[in-house]
Amino acid sequence: MIRILAWILLWLPVAALPGHRMDMDSMVMNENPTRLPQGCAEIAGDRTITVRAGRKYAKPFPGVVFAYDRQSWEVAPCTRLTVRFINEDHIRHQFMVHGLPPDLYPMGMFTIEVSGPGEETASFILPPYKKTYLVHCDIAQHTEHGMKAQLKVAGGDGDLASLPGLTKPVRPDRYPSRWTGRSLLLLALALFAGMALIWLGRWLIRAMTEDRP
Amino acid sequence: MQRRGKIYGAVGILLFCAVLDVAADIPPPSVSEVGKSAKEPFCPPERPAEWRDAQKIDGVEIQEERVCLPDNPYAVAAFVKGTNNVSMPTLMKTRLAADSIIKRNDRDGDGDPDEIIIKLEVAELNGASPDTTEPVHTFAIAPGIRPAFWVFAPKVRGMATKDEHSTEANPLLRVPSPVIRVEQGDTVRIVLENTHYFPHTIHLHGVDHPFVDAKGEGNDGVPQTSEGFILPGGKRVYEITPRQPGTMIYHCHVQTHTHLAMGLIGMFVVEENRPDNWVQTFNVGAGKVRHPSRAVLERYDQEYDLQYQAVDKELHEIVQSSNDPRVIARRMNREYDLTDATEDYFLLNGRSFPYTLRESLIVVEPDQNVKLRMLNAQGELLAVHTHGHKATITHYDGIEVNPAAQITRDIFDMAPAQRLDLKLTTTNDGLHNYGPGIWVFHDHVERGITTDGMNPGGNISAIVYKSYLGADDVPKLQGIDLSRYFDTAFYRRQMPVWQDIDEWDSLGDPDARQAEAAESADGETRKRSPLRHLLLGLLLGFLAYILFTNRERGRELFCQYVLGRK
Repeated sequence: MIRILAWILLWLPVAALPGHRMDMDSMVMNENPTRLPQGCAEIAGDRTITVRAGRKYAKPFPGVVFAYDRQSWEVAPCTRLTVRFINEDHIRHQFMVHGLPPDLYPMGMFTIEVSGPGEETASFILPPYKKTYLVHCDIAQHTEHGMKAQLKVAGGDGDLASLPGLTKPVRPDRYPSRWTGRSLLLLALALFAGMALIWLGRWLIRAMTEDRP
Repeated sequence: MQRRGKIYGAVGILLFCAVLDVAADIPPPSVSEVGKSAKEPFCPPERPAEWRDAQKIDGVEIQEERVCLPDNPYAVAAFVKGTNNVSMPTLMKTRLAADSIIKRNDRDGDGDPDEIIIKLEVAELNGASPDTTEPVHTFAIAPGIRPAFWVFAPKVRGMATKDEHSTEANPLLRVPSPVIRVEQGDTVRIVLENTHYFPHTIHLHGVDHPFVDAKGEGNDGVPQTSEGFILPGGKRVYEITPRQPGTMIYHCHVQTHTHLAMGLIGMFVVEENRPDNWVQTFNVGAGKVRHPSRAVLERYDQEYDLQYQAVDKELHEIVQSSNDPRVIARRMNREYDLTDATEDYFLLNGRSFPYTLRESLIVVEPDQNVKLRMLNAQGELLAVHTHGHKATITHYDGIEVNPAAQITRDIFDMAPAQRLDLKLTTTNDGLHNYGPGIWVFHDHVERGITTDGMNPGGNISAIVYKSYLGADDVPKLQGIDLSRYFDTAFYRRQMPVWQDIDEWDSLGDPDARQAEAAESADGETRKRSPLRHLLLGLLLGFLAYILFTNRERGRELFCQYVLGRK
């Protein structure tokens, strides 16, 4: 009993932080189901999305290691979005949104982090503006290796780069050549064609400059 | 044919003259002011100065650490008590996950927990990104030098960066992999959660551990003999109850020749069992142990962990060359050849000089006993020399040397993966110490004191007596101004090592522009552009061509007017 009380007292300060929850299994930062962003007269509607995260969702994308089950969502302005975030790996993953109004969302972020296999749900209200928000997992190299998505409000203001299966990276990879029988044959043909062109050019020059009887 | 020969000759002479013209135009030595870019401060205001003080947090006694960049004392308190026992305000001042270190179950009733769960993740520093050509989650080992690393890291929460505007890594994600401390006889579960994109394992090198755990699963970390890979997104629990104390190692045993060199190696210390012995489970960044164990405090005033490691930049660049793990795997596993490798950067506790002076100083007072635990995580031999001190080797590879046979010396040679425990005594007796001062210590295999061949660099640090600490805990240095080494230009070889050595910079770089300015008779700088050089060269070449084509006439004139013959 004393242990339980001590535990409650230890964790009480976190419970007192607005929009902040944390326990051994998960963490939510800047949850906001009630306060309206500037420009929203009321909550336009409620929507719930289920987001699954894990290595297996990278399977359709060669060269990607971690991914969400979707890479893009669209919502209406002033929507109260409830995110049910399911982590299917044995490591941490996050659903972290950037670019939100900092007066409501400190550091402009809304985050759900799930410590291992499990899930967590939290809500936030989106601003009224047409904008594309970055969604990612900010664990070292998870964004870079595929766990990146976008949340478009009112159609968004463009697409983000390097979303698996959707958009190209800013810095594309260069892959080594794979020498097959066909590519070697093409190379040989190109060599012969080049030599023929040189021979043809020389023949033409000679034909034009040669003295005619 | 004769005409073609003339043309070839003329072109040759023209080129020769152009080269001659350029070569002849190099001014005599004069000096330049090169590489004077923005310098970093010796002691950046990154961390609160009060973190350096001795303090008590959540009942945990924390020793002072008088360096520019001390460890976060709140994190130290959490490492000692466990993230499950420390108060929430303290935990919130760290970036640790709530389940990072679990300490519970005082089985023997001696006042300390005997069941310890330690969670580790794998982080990549200075890695590639598909969104930028700059590295991400950055960690500089010296000004402007950011090779990629892989490290084991305590399980953290939130962002991997310092803040939302920075690409700099969260302070708990750094080189070297953190020192892990447990108590002899504790039941320890080390949980590796593989957050990285490659497979990894943990091998507990020298630590008492069974080959299989209670479930019969492999516990030795060797994929070929003990267990499979821990794939990305997976985890494995290593279970041990170490019966013997000592300074040991933990490291990845997948593709060990490269994974170890990439940074997946750290010290694993088993402390002697004592009552009420709450040990500091992690020492992030190694260096000073701010809460030494009971057994250490019985014999020593202070304790330091010193991990030496080296970087072959060609290996570490592979990670930065691609975002596709298949490409990285191909380059690292099949194209990179360790037998052709050379080490370029040399680190002490994850940094090279001058950054070592910010956080890896050994700060002492006279008549102290200081315990040093050293690990050679380099690929080659290390020979550490301590200026002003001779220390005694008390343990090799965690095993105590017979006290009658312990030797005292000033060079400590270590084979790769070897550990030494040293007793450093600061008694001014002409043997153990020659008096207070700022005494450097460094590898005496001389490449170790360079950063990619630039000296001073590498693993140089210093034993500093408190009387030699100045304002802001910066050592009161008596030699040259060190600010030049806090300049990225120095390690990019853009700055003369002896720049400004005297009033007229007599050993600076020769520079054409200054020479022209100084040599211009009317004081005006003559304009010598590459185009001017080219035109002059062409003119000389044309003259040479005229001479060559009229050489017969030239010879006649030469004989007639110079030699006086017809």
